[in-house]
Amino acid sequence: MPLRAILAYELNGLWKSWLIRAWLIATVLVTFLIVTTNWAVTPTARLIAQLLFPYLVFPWFLVVLLLGLNPVTGARLEALSDGILSRPVTRLEYLLASWAARVTAVLAALFVVILPAVWIVAVADRPGVGENDVTLYGIVASLAVVAMVLTFLVSIGFFAGTAFRSSMFAAAALILIWMPVNLVLHTFSLEEFSPISLNQSLPTLLRTPWHEGQSAAAEPAKGEDMQAAAEQAANFLNVLAGGSAAATRKDPKFYERGDYKDFSLIRVVLGYGVPTLAALGLTTLMFSRRDL
Amino acid sequence: MELAIQTEHLTKIYAGRVIAVNDMSLNVPSGAVYGLLGPNGAGKTTTLRLLLGLQRPSAGNAKVFGHPCGPNATNVRAMIGYLPTHPVLPGHLCPIEYLDLLGKLCRIPQQIRKPRLTSLLRAVGLLSATDRRIQTFSTGMRTRLGIAASLLADPPLLVWDEPTAGLDPSARRFTLDLIRELAKSRTVMVATHILSDIDQICDHVGVMHEGRMIFSGSMREMKQRLQRDDFCLELDGDPEDVRQLAEQAAQVQGIKIQPHEQNTVLVEVADGHSRAGVMAEVLRLVDASKLTLQAIRSTQNETEFAYLQLLQQDSDHGFRRFDLQSPLKEHAVTSDSGV
Repeated sequence: MPLRAILAYELNGLWKSWLIRAWLIATVLVTFLIVTTNWAVTPTARLIAQLLFPYLVFPWFLVVLLLGLNPVTGARLEALSDGILSRPVTRLEYLLASWAARVTAVLAALFVVILPAVWIVAVADRPGVGENDVTLYGIVASLAVVAMVLTFLVSIGFFAGTAFRSSMFAAAALILIWMPVNLVLHTFSLEEFSPISLNQSLPTLLRTPWHEGQSAAAEPAKGEDMQAAAEQAANFLNVLAGGSAAATRKDPKFYERGDYKDFSLIRVVLGYGVPTLAALGLTTLMFSRRDL
Repeated sequence: MELAIQTEHLTKIYAGRVIAVNDMSLNVPSGAVYGLLGPNGAGKTTTLRLLLGLQRPSAGNAKVFGHPCGPNATNVRAMIGYLPTHPVLPGHLCPIEYLDLLGKLCRIPQQIRKPRLTSLLRAVGLLSATDRRIQTFSTGMRTRLGIAASLLADPPLLVWDEPTAGLDPSARRFTLDLIRELAKSRTVMVATHILSDIDQICDHVGVMHEGRMIFSGSMREMKQRLQRDDFCLELDGDPEDVRQLAEQAAQVQGIKIQPHEQNTVLVEVADGHSRAGVMAEVLRLVDASKLTLQAIRSTQNETEFAYLQLLQQDSDHGFRRFDLQSPLKEHAVTSDSGV
């Protein structure tokens, strides 16, 4: 019962916050502008990728980071300890409910605006933009990728909010880390996980049929993906230890716009899912040891 | 005797720099109204937060009804109704929503929760404000709501931190009467620095000073322990004449006079001297001065005086306050028995 109660309480608070309301209004306006200005010129896959660009790259990641920040910082901490954590509630219950509320709010704000826009773009008859080759699987997978990135952003916001007592300081630190994330990922040879790369690969993913996606996720490619993930992890640790990044074989066409043949949903899921869980675990560990 | 609260060598040091609670051992009997008294910064609130598991002790332990306290001790928190000083409440909620949320957190079924919260709102006089958001509430209303929140789960132990702080006289009277009423059926611990509150409601008292418990016992014990032959003289006249009186009295054996309050001096009678003799000598000096005697007051049984004396004694003890024996002795006994 406490978990559901805190979840409902947090969602209620989030819904009443000016940040969420202003963000919703802004996303509606931006989405409308993108759709209307590209309506007669941009192919469907590219247009959907453009619609998702603000969430992945700029500026909505800032809002998402801020939303993740404040559950256990500053004055809110006092209210929290007075009102909730002095009751028979564990800190883990509070953290999970609070994190789930933020993820729910962010994903709701994404889907409420994006789903109707994508549906209109995908089903509308738009002469002059070529054949609509977007697949249902592609749309679902693309939205899942964006949702995963946003969940990761909420989680690192959550982590920073717990690590730093001041939410302002936490926000500044996060923005300073996230803004040059492409450079950071390049240092560790993890460019394919950068939000910009993901956004550029979306048109390919949007055109991927269900069976191809399924087979790519199932058999031999799975082994390659695992090997690539292991190589990336080893390289990451090598760079952390002070070594230089290992030279990797890359398809020269990889970074050519619209041709991302080696994009792997599994690697992306692992690349964002594991750090999300790690951030959540570290947050729980830190918060359970903190004095309120 | 069942103990509602028991602490053993409870110590809290913040960030290795600030000692908030200093080797505190405390026993609060079940059914008592225990006043935790101390000046600001004495460590009262930290002690309460350690009991609630909101903070971790640096050393020692605390138990509530025999259950160890800690961040994950939800069973302990289920037994405590906590009222913080100036409770910070979610301003966007209405009182019913807030109490309903807390009821859910305490796992109270809806059939019990709803009737209880409405009767509590009536009991604390907030029935007419149920449609207002908490952010529009005055300090007194917030405290009343905090009181209702602490009683929602019908806990056997109430831990209230400065419940009368910032309240107007009628709200203060309401709160003290309520504590008296609630104390009939449960243990109450009230942390405060308002001595008159302690005097009116508590049967047991603990005095904290600089994180240390310097006295813990019944109110009667506290007053008896500090019973002295000192008395206060309320005088009317020039402060210079008062100073001269103090100088003259200093030459008389067994007397020490010092300013106590406005127009009042405290006459301390040294051990082994007759109170009547000292009083006669002081009255003779007053009569010979230009001062007019307004009143003579005994300092016996004054909680405030006893409290101040305790603090003064604690400071005067200096290095003798270092209690080398207790933890080391116990450790040695444990080691010996282990061998």
